[in-house]
Amino acid sequence: MTHPSDALSALLDGALPPAEAAEIERHLAGCAECRTEHDALGAVRAAVRSLPLLDPPARALTPAPEGRERGRHHVFGWAASGMAAAALGIGLVWGPGQPDTAVDLDTLADRHTARVVVDPGISTLRGPLAGR
Amino acid sequence: MSDVSVPTWEEVARDHGRTIYNFAYRLTGNPDEAGDLVQEVLLRVRRGLATYTPGSFEGWLWRITRNAFLDEVRRRKRRATVPFPEDDRGHQGTSPEPAEVLAEVRLSRDVQAALLRLPYDFREAVVLCDVVGLTYDEIAEAVGIPVGTVRSRIHRGRRQLREWLT
Repeated sequence: MTHPSDALSALLDGALPPAEAAEIERHLAGCAECRTEHDALGAVRAAVRSLPLLDPPARALTPAPEGRERGRHHVFGWAASGMAAAALGIGLVWGPGQPDTAVDLDTLADRHTARVVVDPGISTLRGPLAGR
Repeated sequence: MSDVSVPTWEEVARDHGRTIYNFAYRLTGNPDEAGDLVQEVLLRVRRGLATYTPGSFEGWLWRITRNAFLDEVRRRKRRATVPFPEDDRGHQGTSPEPAEVLAEVRLSRDVQAALLRLPYDFREAVVLCDVVGLTYDEIAEAVGIPVGTVRSRIHRGRRQLREWLT
């Protein structure tokens, strides 16, 4: 027979009819090249199957609210954080005992907000990691 | 699996929530998107249970999950997905870890990174098979493709992973 190709993965998954599985196994017994391929695919399969099952955050185990505009709450949440950070920054700059400093409030706030909107990945990198 | 009784959404959350979360997490590498996906699936399950006809519950559930996932991807297509720097075992400290634990974490990261490089069709087939644990028939039903295509996608996905991981 010719080399079995995708039947090797199906054999590993127990997804072949018995007659075909027996035929592939006979081929493997006499074909070192296919045995190597079979073993390598088996190692890949085992590696993916060994990925740990992660626990979802508790909030994930309730249905999404009806009509929720999905996918934006993280951005808004972190935009709010950006504004809070901007306000904190202003407080530090203008705190008691500090020399008067020219601060363009609009620019400062815009920069913080823009960073979150333009780079939404920040919510992924720094967002709540409940369940992890 | 053929269920006679229809589960409640709470039972779906309890019995399948973790698997759905891991399905989405392994496809995206993003915990926020994975959490949102579980919520969206549970919403659709709650709506859909009223009209669910007992049959292959796995096929029904994973069709819903896959459709919800693809809708979610479409909604977010303008947002960058940043692969999360994975720490599957939850090690946050800087204390030295046994070498074998570190090796496992590194392997997890390498496998996750390789999965994210796969074309979507192959990644989905491999994740449904090796993470979710569906049979080829169940994958065919969930994705709406012939079993032969499932077999081919899983094999081609694994071959590609093999190239990147060795």
